[in-house]
Amino acid sequence: MTGRRSAVRIALALSLAAGAAGVSGCGTSGGRWAQQVMASRAADVGAARGFNAADVMFLQMMVVHNGQGVELARLARGRAVRAEIGLLAGAIAATQRDETASMAGLLREWGQPPTAPPDEHAAHGGMPETDAREIASVADAGPADFERAFLNAMIAHQDDAVQLAAAEVSGGLHPGVKALAGRIEASRRAQIERMLALLED
Amino acid sequence: MYVRPKAATGAAALMLGSLLAVLPSSPAQAHGSMSNPPSRAYVCKTEGPDSPDSAACKAAVAAGGTQAFYDWHEVSLLNAGGRHRQLIPDGKLCSAGRDKYRGLDLARADWPATRVSPGPLTITYHATAPHANSNFEFYITKPGWNPTQPLRWSDLEHIKTFTNQNPTTYTNWTINLPQRSGRALIYSIWQRVVGSEEAFYTCSDVDFGGGGGTPSPDPTPTATPTVTPTATPTATPTVTPTSQPGGTWAPNTAYAVGARVTYGGATYQCRQAHTSLPGWEPPNVPALWQRL
Repeated sequence: MTGRRSAVRIALALSLAAGAAGVSGCGTSGGRWAQQVMASRAADVGAARGFNAADVMFLQMMVVHNGQGVELARLARGRAVRAEIGLLAGAIAATQRDETASMAGLLREWGQPPTAPPDEHAAHGGMPETDAREIASVADAGPADFERAFLNAMIAHQDDAVQLAAAEVSGGLHPGVKALAGRIEASRRAQIERMLALLED
Repeated sequence: MYVRPKAATGAAALMLGSLLAVLPSSPAQAHGSMSNPPSRAYVCKTEGPDSPDSAACKAAVAAGGTQAFYDWHEVSLLNAGGRHRQLIPDGKLCSAGRDKYRGLDLARADWPATRVSPGPLTITYHATAPHANSNFEFYITKPGWNPTQPLRWSDLEHIKTFTNQNPTTYTNWTINLPQRSGRALIYSIWQRVVGSEEAFYTCSDVDFGGGGGTPSPDPTPTATPTVTPTATPTATPTVTPTSQPGGTWAPNTAYAVGARVTYGGATYQCRQAHTSLPGWEPPNVPALWQRL
């Protein structure tokens, strides 16, 4: 259990104990729950415009997740890694920056919050972001351990992205977002395959 | 610990109605794992992902890294929807087929095991984000199961399913263990039913004693065959980017800055050296390709 999540859980428990209304079985807290209702209603309205709550949640979560992936990818800069790993890390950072920009733009266009409320990530909305702790431990890895630590962390990170993307492919409404999710799923799966092969080499 | 409010106000209830009308398709997620008998993920996170004690957890961390064990409560598939046997291949039951959790699939006879006996056993599921409306299925390996072989669906025998459960942070059930000797494995599936298709999977190693029917722990675990990635032969592209002019874009190809390709009738020039991938088609990744 990380400190961050513990803190989130405590905050959540406190807000629920304070008598805020919660969604049965979803553990959302009062203020954020109200925000979620507003977002969902916006998404209800959005359904007429061609998107649903799953699209919004996916975009909000991928913006955060991709950002952490870029942070992780950048750790390979200047480290003694095989050329292919350096190129892969650079390409991951560049492509995910692009994706993030277009996803954030879509949320703005739809009038939706750029990210889900923090509690939603822990209590409601999907996969964890790669922990700051994990990023720090990769950053701190010595030369002999760096490649393996980096590849393992990136594999785990992109495996979470596959889960988010697959959920959007099946639960989303907006064709453009679903297509993006399909490309994210495909590219992350391909990256994982390559990284697993690099671990074996 | 979560406190679930007993009642919402009328207004909130109305809002709740509209909320639920929208949210079921969103990737809402709970978290949890078996804490007694503890799952492999639970054992290794308790030992500490950065400095595990047991040989099995050390091997699992070495094979797949630490993140899987910080995220011990998320061995899940967001889209399971009951299709466990279709989605999770034999040999990957403990990881739910997810590469992040591949260390859990190591076929070893030295996973820390909880001593059990045939008959009633009280089990505990630790849910850090419990969700109502869930089914919990429990299985045990058949007599003669060999822990040094990859775990297959056909190795499992159903014990009990608890339906329409509303789990709390720690939920107890009593299941009836059949006669076994030596090592066995209890497998669980937590399938959310309302509001999400998400399911969670756990592998808990148990030992009935006696040791008959299962091989004694092997000091030299039989390699680590289950971790071998489904390596794609195609995924070994050359690292030396060649600036070949023209040609149709293809995945798994090394492209140097300045390389030109055609895709969908347009011509693109590579602006950042990389090895191409499915999903990184030139029009979709402007960071890598510039349309000419």
